[in-house]
Amino acid sequence: MQDNLSLYIDRDSPLQRLNPLTKLVLSFSLILIGFLGPGYWLATGLFVCVLVPLSIWGKIGPEFLQRTVRLILPLALFLFVMQSLFYPGGRTVLWRFWIFSVKLEGVQFAYLTATRLMNMVGAFLILLLSTHPSTLMTDLTRRGVSPSLTYILVSTLQIIPQMRNKANTIIDAQRSRGLETQGGIRARVGALLPLVGPLVFGSLVDVEERAIALEARAFKAKRLKTSLIEVPDSVLQRQVRIGLVVLTLVMIGIRLWR
Amino acid sequence: MAIVAVENLTYCYPQTTQPALHDLSFQVEEGEFVAIIGANGAGKSTLCYALTGFAPHFFRGELTGQAMIAGLDTRQTPLEELMLVVGLVFQNPGNQISGAKFTVYEEIAFGLENLGVPPGEMRDRIDRIMALTGISDFATRSPYALSGGQQQRVALASILVMEPKLLVLDEPTSQLDPIGSREVFETIRAMSKQGMTVIMAEHKLEWVATFADRVIALAGGEIILNGPPAEVLTSPFLIEHHIGQTRYTTVASRAQAEQRWPLDRALPVVIDEAEAGFRTYQPKMAE
Repeated sequence: MQDNLSLYIDRDSPLQRLNPLTKLVLSFSLILIGFLGPGYWLATGLFVCVLVPLSIWGKIGPEFLQRTVRLILPLALFLFVMQSLFYPGGRTVLWRFWIFSVKLEGVQFAYLTATRLMNMVGAFLILLLSTHPSTLMTDLTRRGVSPSLTYILVSTLQIIPQMRNKANTIIDAQRSRGLETQGGIRARVGALLPLVGPLVFGSLVDVEERAIALEARAFKAKRLKTSLIEVPDSVLQRQVRIGLVVLTLVMIGIRLWR
Repeated sequence: MAIVAVENLTYCYPQTTQPALHDLSFQVEEGEFVAIIGANGAGKSTLCYALTGFAPHFFRGELTGQAMIAGLDTRQTPLEELMLVVGLVFQNPGNQISGAKFTVYEEIAFGLENLGVPPGEMRDRIDRIMALTGISDFATRSPYALSGGQQQRVALASILVMEPKLLVLDEPTSQLDPIGSREVFETIRAMSKQGMTVIMAEHKLEWVATFADRVIALAGGEIILNGPPAEVLTSPFLIEHHIGQTRYTTVASRAQAEQRWPLDRALPVVIDEAEAGFRTYQPKMAE
């Protein structure tokens, strides 16, 4: 079973070696520009001309495309069906069947929304597939983000799979005592109660012990923390980050001005 | 010199009137290995928490008397300062993994990062402690992908790397199989031989007899015995207070009742003593 929920793929590439903050700023800039920037084809352009080349540069192209399609395809299909049939104000009928009619305006709106969502998912995936959570959190902590906040974010990635393992153990234990956990909905709902109790109470005990373990590791020591991992940064990357922030603000400004 | 000085220590958990620890007084010398034994509910874990400051700082409750650790009064000193001189390892290996790190190597570095140790020194200390605890082979693995015994050694290494003056262990092998237990005990013994002061609450009396310089037996939150292993572990009080005896003591005392163990010979607590006793006496039994 997977030990953590991190999506990181360990490849030796310049994208992987970029400072995590640069990738974080790039992702948010792409998302904001995709949603708020001008132009019908902007989100498509960003995905095809920026995100796909970035994924190839990072040697994560196939994984990037596979995950993007897997995440966005069901949502896009739903959007196209709903918007093309029920888009309010749609006048140009492309195709008619019984009481349903597919309208051009609905298809266009669905395409715009789907590509913006694809751009957003893609931007996050570029960040998550090419950045190890430890590196990202170490860099953010170094820049003044609260260690408690970064701890919560990182530990969640690891503790959720542990809780899933624990839930499976409890289910096995209940099943060995004759509890029906498979079959119809009624049996599954009935099996939920004996699972929730031990899982919740067990987790509360775990939280107390984890808190003690953190204290024992001087997590709250009033000292300047250091880091085992040294995260590289450069003047050029700092300038790129500033450039991206400015570009995003300009795009938002154009949208507001219009 | 005493690194631990406990005087009239009494502690009550919140919303309870019955003290979990009652009027304890003892000292532990620097470099000593002291085992705390007792039945379930005797106060072993609470004593471990009191010695590390978690009682009362973390659990709240009311503590009277005094526990001085390396010159620091546990009641007056904030927990984060106490953690610089005392390390705590407890029962559940999984819950001692921080969850903040993705490899064993980084996990061991976590405490040092919090202490602000420079990366170069950090690496030296981690390499040294991983070799000592025998976990160098797991450096790049996820701490969650290890067995219980391996995880407990990682937890131990994570505390030892912070170089505490006192190491407190609360039944560190209670959830481990015999192989995992042996691995952990061997590591603790290695640390003790290097001069570290160790206080360990433990049920496994054979191990206590093998490692400890001194044994403190608790019952109902009070000290009932405090002395060398050979003296404490053969005391009839242990049976009376449901603590039990080592297998060797039990066998020899039964043999003694059947006049197969000399009355003038002390009952054994380790296998070598038992073997020597039976070997020297058996020829007479054959007569």
